[in-house]
Amino acid sequence: MSDVADTLRKLTIVFTEFEGRLEQTPLIRKLTRGRFELADYHAFLVQLRQQVKEGALWMSRAASNIDDQHLELRSLLMRHAVTEHRDFRLLEADYVASGGELSVIQSGEKNIGSEALSAWMYHQASQANPFGLLGAMWIIEGLGSIKAQEWGRRVKETLALPDEAVRFLLYHGENDVEHIEEFKSMLAMVLPDEAAAKRIVRTAEVTARLYALQIEEILQ
Amino acid sequence: MSELRDGYITGTGAFLPGAPVSNDQMEEHLGRVAGRDSLFGKKALRWNGVESRHYAMAPDGSVSHSNAQMCALAVGAALERAGLAPRDLGMLAAATTQGDLLAPGHAAQVHAELGGGPMEIASFQSVCGSSLMAAKAAWLNVRAGEHDVTAACAGEFSSRWFRPSFYEGTALVDAKGRIRAEADFLRFTLSDGAGGVVIEAKPRPGALKINFIDIISLADRYDPCMWAGATVEDRTDPLAFWAKAGPRAAHEAGAIALLQDFELLKRVIRAWVGVYLEKVDQGRIVPADVDHCLVHYSAKSLRAEIVSLLEDTAGMIPQEKWFSVLREVGNVGSASIWLMLDRLMRSGQVKPGQKILCVVPESGRALVGFMMLEAV
Repeated sequence: MSDVADTLRKLTIVFTEFEGRLEQTPLIRKLTRGRFELADYHAFLVQLRQQVKEGALWMSRAASNIDDQHLELRSLLMRHAVTEHRDFRLLEADYVASGGELSVIQSGEKNIGSEALSAWMYHQASQANPFGLLGAMWIIEGLGSIKAQEWGRRVKETLALPDEAVRFLLYHGENDVEHIEEFKSMLAMVLPDEAAAKRIVRTAEVTARLYALQIEEILQ
Repeated sequence: MSELRDGYITGTGAFLPGAPVSNDQMEEHLGRVAGRDSLFGKKALRWNGVESRHYAMAPDGSVSHSNAQMCALAVGAALERAGLAPRDLGMLAAATTQGDLLAPGHAAQVHAELGGGPMEIASFQSVCGSSLMAAKAAWLNVRAGEHDVTAACAGEFSSRWFRPSFYEGTALVDAKGRIRAEADFLRFTLSDGAGGVVIEAKPRPGALKINFIDIISLADRYDPCMWAGATVEDRTDPLAFWAKAGPRAAHEAGAIALLQDFELLKRVIRAWVGVYLEKVDQGRIVPADVDHCLVHYSAKSLRAEIVSLLEDTAGMIPQEKWFSVLREVGNVGSASIWLMLDRLMRSGQVKPGQKILCVVPESGRALVGFMMLEAV
């Protein structure tokens, strides 16, 4: 049970569980039920920024721990990190365009979930050949390709914001199909390998739980 | 306690009222809301793939059959197929989305139409998944030795809800006479009919052994997705449902009609896929072992991404093994699975030893059911 299809199946199950958990968080309930307020959006952006800012950094650290046998994967992680390491600026711009103060989002603090998620990511990235992080990428990039636009449209509609204030959510995510194709090729770089497959799925489970905790903590 | 017995489907039956109604005729048949052509009808039909359906209500509003009468006819047909009569039944489980009366339960009304003397009954009210809830009760009654012969049936009389008068003069229709999409789509999706099965402790030639019936609700995560009894805005506030305003005001507010949230449906579909893949992962469903796959959802309306996701995760059952009558008889809610199974059994395609997987997704509040059958 360690080839690409089996692992992808387990990861899909983890993601759909995660989606169901997100749906129950107070913040997303307000969003889907049309009761979302500007303060909710701002609080959301502050936490997303923490995540996005750290994302490229733990990815870089993970890349530096990948050995010479997996150079292709190392290149890919480095490219990902380069593409994303300035994205938190987009969140800052959305925050300002929706009426927030730049200094507020820049000095925002991680909530308990964000702290836990970040600590977990760096811990994983510090291991030799941290292939488990592919599972974390599945969760976080899955959010980008599956949830971000859906949330962005709802935020824009509910708060009557212009596109410029919702750019990260609306335009950041790549489309589903490309996302899955690229991810399959990344899995194929380390699989089949039973231990790696197990680690990838477990890392996805923990990342999903901590990510949901971050969203839960936004409105407590 | 003695051991559980196996249960076998020994007869299937279906009933569809009146002549088939084509896509071109359906709006004329149901009636135009505020006299206008539907804005979403064609889109709904492209999406659901239905080309023909049946209605128990004529264009003039006259009714040919009640929901319970259709169910009784379907059970009667299933009994006949099994070589039995209503008096042989020990227990009848009946399912529907909305029965003929608000109370008593649907099974009482079906039993009244069917006859057969005193028997145990059980009513199941949900949306499409109510069919499998009833089937599970009927099967477990046989398995537990409570009864030797039981029946499960499911019926819908949706069209009576789709008359223009259900929408006109309510908040569901705007000043220009345009009906809300949440209400309009379902008018072009659901239709009438009933189906049923007879379950016995002993197999007969051509019987289907029930290997399992698994029903999974995700209602703790998802809000109502297809519902009646609350407005679009109030559907998540249990204290604001129809009874608060009373029947007349609730109708005016648009709280009585059947409604569907299509944005939420996309998320619910992903949740269904997740539950299905979990069954595959646990080895409960082995896609390669399935000979006939009955899903009351057209493969056509699943987005290409979902089909390719199922392929990527070794979860897809090849489309040539999918069997459906959705295009010909429409989406008959809870009755659909029995209409499909009845048609499959009569097609002569099922060979001894083959496995039939029935998948019943219910958007009502994110539920999905699976039934695995094995031909004897």
